[in-house]
Amino acid sequence: MKKLAIGLYAAVTVALMVWGFYQAIYVAPTDAMQGEIFRVIFYHVPSASVAFLFFAVSLIGSICYLAFRRNRDGWAQIADAWALAGAEVGVVFCTVVLLTGPIWGRRAWGIWWTWDARLTTTLVLWLIYVSYLLLRRFAAGPQMQTYAAVLGIFGALDVPIVYMSNRWWRTQHPAPVFGGSEGSGMDPSMVHPFLWNMLAWFAWGVFILGIRYYVERQHQQFAALEAQAALDA
Amino acid sequence: MDERAILDHQFLVAAYAVTWAVQLGYLVWLAFKWRAQKRNAARNPK
Repeated sequence: MKKLAIGLYAAVTVALMVWGFYQAIYVAPTDAMQGEIFRVIFYHVPSASVAFLFFAVSLIGSICYLAFRRNRDGWAQIADAWALAGAEVGVVFCTVVLLTGPIWGRRAWGIWWTWDARLTTTLVLWLIYVSYLLLRRFAAGPQMQTYAAVLGIFGALDVPIVYMSNRWWRTQHPAPVFGGSEGSGMDPSMVHPFLWNMLAWFAWGVFILGIRYYVERQHQQFAALEAQAALDA
Repeated sequence: MDERAILDHQFLVAAYAVTWAVQLGYLVWLAFKWRAQKRNAARNPK
């Protein structure tokens, strides 16, 4: 039953991805100002949204880990697995943002990169979470999860700064399309393709987040068994 | 198709291809990690 549900979810996700691609390429009209390159928005913006969401998952996991680590070890380990999964999958999506953004920028601005507030804070966010993953990969000892949780909480503080950066400061990066100042927004003919791609990337993100969480839980259980065996020997 | 449109198209293909390369690359890495873990668990059942 569980396998059937996972298979069904995977099939729906793939169908959404195909539908989202069709909407982005064939349904959304070409932008009058930017031409074809505007279609990068259908992958770039949903990737940023999903990255923010998963960094929030990592934040909640990190807080819960710190809250439960002394008295509820089982819950703490579950929280830690969510924190790791959220951070890692968030980094994957943030990587996509940092790669697709310059590709769009090269055509729209004529430059690959500029050190404006939005781009710089996004790069800093990516670096913080990469350092989080490196800490988890290379540090050892019982305190590692605690250090990682603290770093995960500090890293998440950059998310609202990234989000607000093109509202607080003048940036090369375009002004907010949604929730921006008066006159911002998207042509109605582009909104549906955009929302389909948001849904598709969200479904895809949840799918790989679930797999990553499961793999980490397996790893934790295997490590606990190994530790028990070492104590018994 | 003028030169600008051709370049736009090439950059768009690059952006979509990079996205899928990163996402599918991560999925494949995850699958290898999962398989290695299962193999380890089978080798050391206790």
